[in-house]
Amino acid sequence: MDEEEIEKVVLAYLKKKGLKQTELAFQEEQQQVKNNADPDVSKQVISLTEPDNVPEQYEDGYCKLRAWTYSSLDLYKHELLRILYPVFVHCFMDLVAKGHIQEARAFFNKFREDHEMMHLRDLQKLEGVLSPSHLEEMEFAHSLRQSKVNIKICQYSYDLMMQYLHKSQSITMLGIINEHINFQVSPGQPISLSDDTEVVTLVGSGQDTANLINQKEIHWGLLEDSVEERLEKTLLSDTEKAEGETKEGESEENKKRSIEGGKQGTSLKKLKKDKVVSAAAKAAKTEGNVSAAPRVKPELSLPVIPTEVEYSILDDLRNRVQLSNVALPSVSFYTFLNTHNGLNCSAISHDGSLLAGGFSDSSLKVWDMALLGQQTDNSILPEENESARSAAGTNSGKRSYTLYRGHSGPVYSAAFSPFGDFLLSSSSDSTIRLWSTKLNANLVCYKGHNYPVWDVKFSPAGHYFASASHDRTARIWSMDRIQPLRIMAGHLSDVDCVQWHANCNYIATGSSDKTVRLWDVQNGECVRIFIGHRSMILSLAMSPDGRYMASGDEDGTIMMWDLSSGRCVTPLVGHSTCVWTLDYSCEGSLLASGSADCTVKLWDVTSSTARVPKSEENKTGSTTNRLRSLKTLPTKSTPVHALKFSRRNLLFAAGPISANGSTY
Amino acid sequence: MSIVPKETVEVIAQSMGINNLTPDAALALAPDVEYRMREIMQEAIKCMNHSRRTTLTTDDIDSALKLRNVEPIYGFASGDPLRFRRALGHKDLFYIDDKDVDFKDVIEAPLPKAPLDTSIVCHWLAIEGVQPAIPENAPVEAITAPPETNKAEQKESELPVDIKLPVKHVLSRELQLYFNKITELTLSRSDLVLFKEALVSLATDSGLHPLVPYFTCFIADEVARGLTEFNVLFALMRVVWSLLQNPHIRVEPYLHQLMPSVVTCLVAKRLGNRLADNHWELRDFTANLVAFICRKFGHVYNSLQSRLTKTLLNAFLDPKRAMTQHYGAIQGLAALGPNVVRLLILPNLEAYLKLLEPEMLFENQKNELKRYEAWRVYGALLRAAGQSIYDKLKLFPPLASPPAHVVLRPNARVITSNLTNKHTASTANTDDMDMEHQSPLKKVALEGAIVPVSNNSSPHDMEVEARLPDSSGASEASPPSSLQTPNENNKSSEGRKDRGENESLRMRALLNQTWKEDLKSGQLLAKLYEQFGERIFSFIPTPELELFL
Repeated sequence: MDEEEIEKVVLAYLKKKGLKQTELAFQEEQQQVKNNADPDVSKQVISLTEPDNVPEQYEDGYCKLRAWTYSSLDLYKHELLRILYPVFVHCFMDLVAKGHIQEARAFFNKFREDHEMMHLRDLQKLEGVLSPSHLEEMEFAHSLRQSKVNIKICQYSYDLMMQYLHKSQSITMLGIINEHINFQVSPGQPISLSDDTEVVTLVGSGQDTANLINQKEIHWGLLEDSVEERLEKTLLSDTEKAEGETKEGESEENKKRSIEGGKQGTSLKKLKKDKVVSAAAKAAKTEGNVSAAPRVKPELSLPVIPTEVEYSILDDLRNRVQLSNVALPSVSFYTFLNTHNGLNCSAISHDGSLLAGGFSDSSLKVWDMALLGQQTDNSILPEENESARSAAGTNSGKRSYTLYRGHSGPVYSAAFSPFGDFLLSSSSDSTIRLWSTKLNANLVCYKGHNYPVWDVKFSPAGHYFASASHDRTARIWSMDRIQPLRIMAGHLSDVDCVQWHANCNYIATGSSDKTVRLWDVQNGECVRIFIGHRSMILSLAMSPDGRYMASGDEDGTIMMWDLSSGRCVTPLVGHSTCVWTLDYSCEGSLLASGSADCTVKLWDVTSSTARVPKSEENKTGSTTNRLRSLKTLPTKSTPVHALKFSRRNLLFAAGPISANGSTY
Repeated sequence: MSIVPKETVEVIAQSMGINNLTPDAALALAPDVEYRMREIMQEAIKCMNHSRRTTLTTDDIDSALKLRNVEPIYGFASGDPLRFRRALGHKDLFYIDDKDVDFKDVIEAPLPKAPLDTSIVCHWLAIEGVQPAIPENAPVEAITAPPETNKAEQKESELPVDIKLPVKHVLSRELQLYFNKITELTLSRSDLVLFKEALVSLATDSGLHPLVPYFTCFIADEVARGLTEFNVLFALMRVVWSLLQNPHIRVEPYLHQLMPSVVTCLVAKRLGNRLADNHWELRDFTANLVAFICRKFGHVYNSLQSRLTKTLLNAFLDPKRAMTQHYGAIQGLAALGPNVVRLLILPNLEAYLKLLEPEMLFENQKNELKRYEAWRVYGALLRAAGQSIYDKLKLFPPLASPPAHVVLRPNARVITSNLTNKHTASTANTDDMDMEHQSPLKKVALEGAIVPVSNNSSPHDMEVEARLPDSSGASEASPPSSLQTPNENNKSSEGRKDRGENESLRMRALLNQTWKEDLKSGQLLAKLYEQFGERIFSFIPTPELELFL
């Protein structure tokens, strides 16, 4: 080939690509240095100048790359295999973007099986992309096009791949890899296969940003001067005095029982027994567990707890049953009957005395367990019940529940305030409503979201609450303002669930984009991104010591995250389908999860977190640690919608019975 | 290109009044329709998840449409499950039956019962981690396996433990090896000598009992897997035979699993996929096997023989079945004994031969193979009929003959009958013309032979029993009452040995009388001889032959 010819070709290519400056530089350089171009280079350049829109190039190139990868050395194979998926996705999108819809579809179907196991849901989304305009419209595809995928790879694998790509002269593949993949080449041995959870998700925002965000400092410690802390002090100062206090507490307890109804009453007796046994051990343990967490100052001005409420909390704390992997909790199950498939959500108040259900017919129904107990057993403290009935009787009439009407669309979420006197509900009509359980009336309607509000949660201290919506934002509200205080935007898809951190300074949000984010409530910034789930996040829970978070997804996987490092402590596999709800026991030793597979599972959290420092040392994550499933409690075909540990560590669960298994 | 065909787009356009939609537009719209549909489904699934359900409903679709600011689709909101109907003539086209409802009917109809109001019940799902056995909780039996393993896990150390379900049946390593070796040999048949050794081992070794369920399973699986491997099938049947021979094994509990495979090898339409495969031999072998099973276990399972004969008779009487199947059924029935033949085959013989004869003729059946098969069946029938006649005839004259004679003769019969079979096979073509003329006559002859036989069958049954003491050495024979009261005969035959030789003379006289009564059948045999020539000799005891000739 002639030198001139090559030059022409190069120039033609540069012109075609519109790289004018390069063209000029090239011409200049050409004049300066008139030496021969490398024939190899010329060949490559020629292949570049060939008409770009040849779909066979993509298929052929991918085919070859795939074949090469599958036949590569076992040691490096899994690293190289990771490259295939982004290349595959981008090949497909390139083909679509260039208008070869038919070929794109054929290409997609040909290789889709390879990636179905890891990326089924992404593939399902991409499958629908059939025209270049869809690429622009679809958030997921768009973000993929915009960003680079990070792939960790060892030096040798990288060399191998580059060598292959150059030798085979598959320019198309090389282009895609250069354009869309960012290699993080690490010297030494290839990373073990199971270790890398990040490979699962192609993050739109890019791993870099996620990593950067996860560098930020967060203060996961508990609040200063909390009720628990004060209790510990008193316990430490005089343990003998505690005996006297518990005597007092018992009289309190009797009063309490009258409110909580018959069922609760029996459980309290049990709790009392436990308390005596574990009184001594408890003091030591609470110290080991809770007070080990550092203390932080609240960033929000928190409401003052009324003294009588504080007293009842103290009382509850004193009477708390210590749970561990050998001491499992008692579970009280509230079953909804005759819901006609209309129950969307349910919420349980802190002491289990109130139960709320949100229905698809826009109604919100609240059951008072004390009244329910009264129906079955009238003998318990009649005078107390009398007063309770007069309070609720005005509204309820003949019904066993109080009906709250106000929403104009299915109610998707309900939440009780920490002290049980308020109830929040969010609905498909894009509003959030605040109800008073004392007055049985709607107090405020918060309008701010533009789309259905999927989830709403009160902060642990009350007064503030957070909401999550289809409009891809989460918002922080205070009860006394009808406008949101903060709007957290950043998720790439619906925000499906929200959860407050124990110290009220952070909220966590789970989204359909398969990530969980942690946001600083004070400045509204995203401080952590947790990547690893393979499907939509449905439920979140924060450990009481503020250090860990659990998230459950649509596939039944639960992941436990270390907030400070942003890493997954351990994935918990056991549920077969959607995990609707998660809750930590009050001292953080157990995690309860409720699922659509009609089971409540109890997981041992301490065994896995105990090993965390070790795994942090070698920075390999902790895939060998698995949270132990302590117990599976199957229900009679009742999916579990809500779980709540009371302050005394009694676990309440709620769900609608499905008439036959087939409806669910 | 898109899963939505452009025809659909056109149809929808027409239904909306757009008649002049160009094909190009339809083609361009199709992918977008698909994309929008997927988008709606994605949103609908979100709504479903937030309604805490795992089944998608029409409500979810409506919510999704609302999210996209699209008018929802009306008319699907009723809570009843949708009833789809299949469109006539289209396999994959479904529609919802939209009935016209008269307003009057709706208004006048009595109000439906109000649905029950939502209520709450409360129960203990667990008390300190233990599920109480109350009706509200899931029954304990249904969940035994997981909790057990959980408990086991709790007892152990804090390390995560992999759950292993308990293994109920433990096989020793030696037995596993033995089993693997045998199955391998059976399937490969690489070393015939070794395979024979294996069969001997199966038939004699003690301690194989733990393997019996595995062997039965293996045999059932292999037979079920395909009937194309003739050699494997034969090998499997040999394994069954050996297992049955083994005195240390109790096969009874597994018979129900074995029998279907064995019967399959008897009456299957095709065994083996090559012409060279001698599936007749396999059928003969299996027929004997079946008969052996019936003899051995008939007393344990009363229904065994009746069920088996029913199956075989069905195969025999169904004219739609292949000739090979008929052959298998006839062989199976014949192997079960002359009584079965007399009761089940002979009454149906006339009708069956009518069907069979055209198949054997060159004019009617041009396919040589089919004709050969028909002749095979004919041979089997002849043998079965002849055997039963022989069984009857041999009772009379040779009463005084020594037992050795009786033993010898069956052997001879087997040989000759084989010969006749070969003869029929080899001469099938040449005989065609002759047989054409002979067959009606022969049929008459056969019928004639059969009628008296079946008339007299019951007394002869008795005589079969009566012959048992006879062959034991003494010259005792049936009691005089044998002809009149068979039942009495049954009882009295127990003590017959004691009666001594005084009676023998009397008995002989009586039997002669019987013989005279059965002269008809003797004459029929003569006719049979005319028809079959040498072939029928093999079924008739020599003394009688002499008598007839």
